[in-house]
Amino acid sequence: MPILEVRNLIAKYSARGPEILKSVSFDVEDDDFFAIIGPSGAGKSTLIRCINRLVEPVSGEIFFEGQDVTKLNSRELRSLRRDIGMIFQEFNLIDRMSVMDNVLSGRLGYTGTIRSIFRAFKKTDIQHALALLDRVGLIDHVDKRADELSGGQRQRVGIARALMQDPKLLLLDEPTSALDPKISREVMALILEMARELKVPCLCNIHDVNLAMEFCNKIIGLQDGVKMFDGPTEDMNEERLNEIYAMEVL
Amino acid sequence: MGVFVFIVWGIEYLDIPLDRLFGMFGRMGSTLANRYYPPDIEYIIDADYFQYVIETVQMAYLGALFGLALTLPLGWFGAYNVTPSRRFVYPVARFATMGFRAVHEMIWAILFVSILGFGMLAGVLALTFFCAGFAGKLLAEEIEAIDMGPVEAMKATGANLFQVVIWGVYPQIRVAFTGIGIYTWDVAFRAATVVGFFGAGGMGWYLKRNVQQIETERVAAILLSIVALVIVSEIVSAWARARVMKMK
Ligand SMILES: Nc1ncnc2c1ncn2[C@@H]1O[C@H](COP(=O)(O)OP(=O)(O)OP(=O)(O)O)[C@@H](O)[C@H]1O
Ligand SMILES: [Mg+2]
Repeated sequence: MPILEVRNLIAKYSARGPEILKSVSFDVEDDDFFAIIGPSGAGKSTLIRCINRLVEPVSGEIFFEGQDVTKLNSRELRSLRRDIGMIFQEFNLIDRMSVMDNVLSGRLGYTGTIRSIFRAFKKTDIQHALALLDRVGLIDHVDKRADELSGGQRQRVGIARALMQDPKLLLLDEPTSALDPKISREVMALILEMARELKVPCLCNIHDVNLAMEFCNKIIGLQDGVKMFDGPTEDMNEERLNEIYAMEVL
Repeated sequence: MGVFVFIVWGIEYLDIPLDRLFGMFGRMGSTLANRYYPPDIEYIIDADYFQYVIETVQMAYLGALFGLALTLPLGWFGAYNVTPSRRFVYPVARFATMGFRAVHEMIWAILFVSILGFGMLAGVLALTFFCAGFAGKLLAEEIEAIDMGPVEAMKATGANLFQVVIWGVYPQIRVAFTGIGIYTWDVAFRAATVVGFFGAGGMGWYLKRNVQQIETERVAAILLSIVALVIVSEIVSAWARARVMKMK
């Protein structure tokens, strides 16, 4: 059974506004590193944010481990979100907090409210955070404030934070678009490596087609909210790419 | 041009006697010199009076503190971007904040004195409402200006509402909130010096008594002491503000 099944997903930002996603369906398997490509404004971010309901879909179904995400109440939703890590284009770190605290915040879903006010995380969480920071190459920056780091380093904090959740799925919204090409490649490689290591499937928005072709095993092409392509990376070719990006060329 | 016409029309309409308006400053000077000078300094160097000064400071302190405590939920619930419910909680919080603000602090004082009777409690409550009103509005505006990125990131980890606020919102407004706190103290202290006029505790009561008895030289001394206290308080808050700036 696929870990994520999306069926006829429709999303809007306002009741009378246009449909941003027009009945999109696809499956993500346990070992996928899945890319969503498409021109700017196609609805890639909207699609990803519907999965953990940062955006509420209008209709359609999203099955995560067989459970319909769209029908969860707020407590169930929180426990779903705990199982799904998210990495953002703009990193979305808490600038005024230390790198360590930022990573630990990935654990909030597992931590009681009172404990989290006093940042009294469990010993095992702290060890886990240190291990992850070591793994992403930031062990020398543990006590620095998040806003003292470079872009690449900040995204590494973002990766560690998402992995702190022990996620069963990773959502990535253009994780490297704010970074320069060389760092982008490094960060993508790190994400892929760690996802493989921890056996976490990924669903990743990418603007840069070359990166998608290089790192991902499957691709969906979105254009103006419509799925134009869905298949293994090998099946993607020049002609289909032109079709997906046709709007942008004009 | 339009402004000028409006002013002339306004003066005509209100029938303001210009000669008396301009003569006012001269007469104010002479009145002050004749009746209010010299201020009766001895009158205020007095253990009894000092007690009232202390009470005023206590009232301001408690009022600002309770007001700020109320401000936290008001600011959170009344900020459109992070309110727990846009349809119910948000309008209620906004309306409450507006209500606190709409009523002047003196009116709050009169109201609480008439409910609770004379004394400090009425003053503290009046100041609490007054502080909650304007600090709540400032805080809500501050929260509405934050970067929502970290807030979303915290939601995405499965954090609950409260955790999202503590981790995603609070670090972004901490400095601003401290600033609002200092400002609240300033304003609360100034208000505290006069709420006593209506019997709500503190040195305002002294002021009222002497105004009524036309003890103008004593009034002058009291006014001087208020000015001096406010200046001291402003100096303290300027110092605190400088510390906060470094905190960033
Ligand atoms: N919060 C919002 N409110 C209203 N409309 C929105 C909102 N967010 C996005 N949109 C609209 O939805 C459409 C799809 O946006 P989305 O961000 O999903 O595209 P995208 O494919 O991620 O683009 P990009 O590559 O620029 O990130 C756009 O037309 C955008 O204007
Ligand atoms: Mg996007």
